[in-house]
Amino acid sequence: MAIQTQEHTSGSAPSNARAGGALMSRMNLVTAIIGGLIVMFAAHYLAAAFFVMPVLEGDAENPSGLGWLIDNRITLTTMFGWVLGFMLGIGAFNGPVRWVLGKDLTDADSLFLAGKDQGVGRYFRFTTDHKVVGIQYLIITMTLLGVGGTVAMMIRTNLMTPHSAFLGPTTYNTFVGMHGIIMIIATIIMVTGPFGNFILPIMIGARDMAFPRLNALSFWLIASVVPVLLSVPFLGGMPTGWTAYNPLASQGPVGMDGFIVTIIVFAVSSAVAGANITTTAVKMRTRGMTWTRTPIFVYGVVASVGLAIPAFPTFMAAQVLSGLDRGVGTSFYTAEDGGSGWLYANLFWLMGHPEVYVILIPAVAALLELTPVFTRKPLFSFKAAVIAIAGIVGLSVLVWAHHMYISGWAPKLGGPFMLTTEMISIPTGLLFLVFIGTMWRGRIWTRLPMMAVYAMLWNFVIGGVTGVYLSDIPVDEAMHGSMFVTAHFHYTLMGVALTGTMGALVFWFSKMTGRMFNERIGFWGFWIVQIGFNVTFLGMFMVGFAGQPRRVFNYSEMFANGNFVSTMGAYTIFIGMLIFLYTIISSWRGGEIASANPWNAKTLEWQVPTPVPLENFDVLPIITSDPYGYGRPTSEPKEGASR
Amino acid sequence: MALQKVGVRMRRLAFLLITVIAGVGVVFGVGAYFAQSAPAVQAAEVKGTAPGPNGTEVPHAFISMESYPDSMQGFHGADGGAHPDWVTFGPQTSFEVPANSLVTVTVTQYDGGETITNSYFAKVHGTVDNMATLNGEPFNEIPADAVGHTFTLRGIPSPSQPALFVSVPLLMANEENVGDNGYPVPNIVTFSFYTGGPGLYFWNCEFPCGDGTLANFGGPMSSLGYMAGTFTVK
Amino acid sequence: MADTALHETQESPAAGKRWWQRPEVRAIFIIWLILTIIGEALAWVPAWLMGTSASEQMDEIKQTMTAFTAFAAPVATLVWAAMIYSLAKWRYKGDTPPPDDAPGFTTNTPSIMLWVIASGVLTMIVFIWGLLKIAAIPAAGALALTSTNAGPPIEIQVTGNQWVWNFTYPELGNIQSDVLYLPVDRTAVFNVTSVDVIHSFWIVEMGVKVDANPGEIAKTQVLSHSLGTYDVRCAELCGLFHGAMETQAKVVTQAEFDAWAADEGAFVPVGPVAAEGGE
Repeated sequence: MAIQTQEHTSGSAPSNARAGGALMSRMNLVTAIIGGLIVMFAAHYLAAAFFVMPVLEGDAENPSGLGWLIDNRITLTTMFGWVLGFMLGIGAFNGPVRWVLGKDLTDADSLFLAGKDQGVGRYFRFTTDHKVVGIQYLIITMTLLGVGGTVAMMIRTNLMTPHSAFLGPTTYNTFVGMHGIIMIIATIIMVTGPFGNFILPIMIGARDMAFPRLNALSFWLIASVVPVLLSVPFLGGMPTGWTAYNPLASQGPVGMDGFIVTIIVFAVSSAVAGANITTTAVKMRTRGMTWTRTPIFVYGVVASVGLAIPAFPTFMAAQVLSGLDRGVGTSFYTAEDGGSGWLYANLFWLMGHPEVYVILIPAVAALLELTPVFTRKPLFSFKAAVIAIAGIVGLSVLVWAHHMYISGWAPKLGGPFMLTTEMISIPTGLLFLVFIGTMWRGRIWTRLPMMAVYAMLWNFVIGGVTGVYLSDIPVDEAMHGSMFVTAHFHYTLMGVALTGTMGALVFWFSKMTGRMFNERIGFWGFWIVQIGFNVTFLGMFMVGFAGQPRRVFNYSEMFANGNFVSTMGAYTIFIGMLIFLYTIISSWRGGEIASANPWNAKTLEWQVPTPVPLENFDVLPIITSDPYGYGRPTSEPKEGASR
Repeated sequence: MALQKVGVRMRRLAFLLITVIAGVGVVFGVGAYFAQSAPAVQAAEVKGTAPGPNGTEVPHAFISMESYPDSMQGFHGADGGAHPDWVTFGPQTSFEVPANSLVTVTVTQYDGGETITNSYFAKVHGTVDNMATLNGEPFNEIPADAVGHTFTLRGIPSPSQPALFVSVPLLMANEENVGDNGYPVPNIVTFSFYTGGPGLYFWNCEFPCGDGTLANFGGPMSSLGYMAGTFTVK
Repeated sequence: MADTALHETQESPAAGKRWWQRPEVRAIFIIWLILTIIGEALAWVPAWLMGTSASEQMDEIKQTMTAFTAFAAPVATLVWAAMIYSLAKWRYKGDTPPPDDAPGFTTNTPSIMLWVIASGVLTMIVFIWGLLKIAAIPAAGALALTSTNAGPPIEIQVTGNQWVWNFTYPELGNIQSDVLYLPVDRTAVFNVTSVDVIHSFWIVEMGVKVDANPGEIAKTQVLSHSLGTYDVRCAELCGLFHGAMETQAKVVTQAEFDAWAADEGAFVPVGPVAAEGGE
């Protein structure tokens, strides 16, 4: 249903008399929850009735052995039932069913689906307008970050003293796994979701994404699976970290099934979103926007989802096999019956490494996009930036076994993987040059988005250098599985990616909400987070160097001071984040009304009015130059035609 | 007008404080909910003294535990609690013993058994003279195919917490010889070891009896209060 | 969008100067130099934080940490120097967007080439260093069993169980222990496996780590050079008591080792021989 005409008068009266929406007008989050509950209970009942314990005769070895298989089957079926019911209830299947029946949507239907004239209600429906989906992603990302952050506070409180009895080992291990997967999901979607959806189509001069209904689908799939993930601690927990290593995952209680279902559904959501974004960027750029005139943010988002498209299916496969081991009794990962834990590790890390670049690249690209605006200079070597992103993407699929140097799997492959891993520092370093070059002799307007660039550069240096340490095999032999690794990846994923996202949010806040982000207060929130962050993780490097393992609920007293410092830093992050949250809410509700282009930026999203009209542009623009025309001596027009 | 501005700023500050306090409150609430409820602790009974490792007399502390093939004996509630079919130790799995003393543990073992995967745990380690007593007879090893459970204790050695490792195999009971309480006639294992300075240690059964789970180490094997617990030396 | 060299437009205090004479290049160079000197002076800190070393391998690792910190410091400080200078000299303070733009140069090929080449060279240095260390540390690469002056290599089987390590000495009649005894100055070869889930065998002060996989035997080795008691920890989350899965490695003289082995080996089984009514 992509609207691709040059001109379109919105609201033209269709010939069909009935109001738009049909069945869809009655389907929303409430019906989704009801649908989820109904199908969930039905699935549970049927599964419990069907999957019964067979009467085993003479099985003296293991009379209750099948009990756990049955439990897992019932749990997996119940959880998939919830997801199915939820998606039925939100109306995700309405479109395909109608198409099969030959009754496609009318014009009024599509406008209804796009959220026309529905007020706040459109955020609780299967709305296809990319701007609505972007806000929905923003809210769910903030929710996930909040939950993940709360769990982090639990973990750090437990680690405040060496022999804490706060959580106990079962809950602690569960929280370690929960914090990890919640944050991984949140950081994967945090730039591509809100900004890739809301901003990117406007930025390329399109009226919506290529597949608006798939857009809504990708969001609601995530929404459906959040309760499943959050149910894990109440189902016995999960004994593994977010990496869900088998065979340990096989041993876990039914909470582990929640993780498996979450990943399987999330992988579908990512694939759908990836197909959507890639098609949109490739096919729907407006006239005149050649690849050399496409903003770098688009490159970043496309690179990220392009990387996710091959990576996440292996994650899904890894979990499907884990689910089969747990529910059917296969032995993909159990050595005793011919399987191997290394199969899991390889499948996982084939995803796991590209995935961190899926997280990192869009955030860095967003900062690359806003730096020219706040330095009033063209992006330094746009070509270098593109090549750097391409280089990172290309190399990132060749490095996965650096997570397995000491696994015993393939010692002879250590050298080649060390080479590819260390080579990634070359394109990554090039990105640093692009940032510095863009700042060089610029008019640096130190508003909060630009401050995020500085914070990011500091954190990225530390994160990057510590990554080089870890890439060295002998050093990794000392550092693998220690808190050093944890500190390293928090520096990159949180210090770079999350910081970049916070900057991006402040940058695009006015376009998305119509109000200016209150930087007076937000400044404090942001910098308290940064200071707390550095205290937390520099302290963590220290205990990592000294030999504290990861994922331990208790530790030797020699690590007491470092952990105490880290915990205090973590509490500081938390306070800073609460201040930032307050700023978001209060600015959204009552901030200064924003003009269309408060930053005097040149990309297309700033050339449309705020709030952005339903179909973005009255007349689609024609582009005649790149959006980095700051300070150019020639007087060519920055972009074509009409407003 | 200026006063209005002050009022707006005060309001902003107030809401900011409310947000922060609310956020902290949420974390507190979540923490309170998930905090481990203090398990029932068996404090060792100190009765008299005994010769210590260096010849001096040390306090002599006693603890006792039982192990059962299911959870129906009442340690986890009237109907066996959440997992009536799980093997369990009891009545408590958390113990407190004095530092620098001799601790004597008596285990009444009601459960059957099988072959243990790692025969290391079929031997006695870490006790006085590496010996233990089975139904009154001294022993330091049991057949690897007749292990019911083990009591294996260890902690994180550090300068402020001495290393302590004790592992005693508990012979399986004869399931055909049923006693008055409906369980097999138990084997009674007694062993003693010396504690050093204060510390927090953890014990668990090393005989894989979590039937049906991977390596039979899931379920009760991985749960405090069943086949695992804490051991505080004060 | 023509690739142009640095424009000299508008205000140009740098007009006519060579690049190294430009004020910003000089200033950043000085800041960079100061920061680098501080950084290099602190290059020993990571290795120091890693604590004592009980093996040649750990010595090599600590050396690598110091070397890599020394290599990385100039790169980090270059970025930070540019950041500092930019805030000092190029800052625009105001509530509205800056009224005019900055010099609109879009690229500078020499700096890009230099940057890429320098990072490539640094990467190669780090990589080759790594390869050399791998060759020097048998545990990290090809396993060449080396006898030392003190004696032939000693083989030890390391078994990870859910939540206890135990060690078996096949050459000493299969004596078993929960504490790892090692004779000093002799290569110890570890055959590491697990009976249940994946653990990771880690002797912290010796810089030795390898996963314990069920159904597989992973080999590693170490040459310990200092007497003392060290930490053995599990480095892979393995369930409930992963955080308590620790024991000690005691490096002792050959005489003490032989005495201990004799003690352990003097085990005489006492107790029930046959099971009472098995399954």
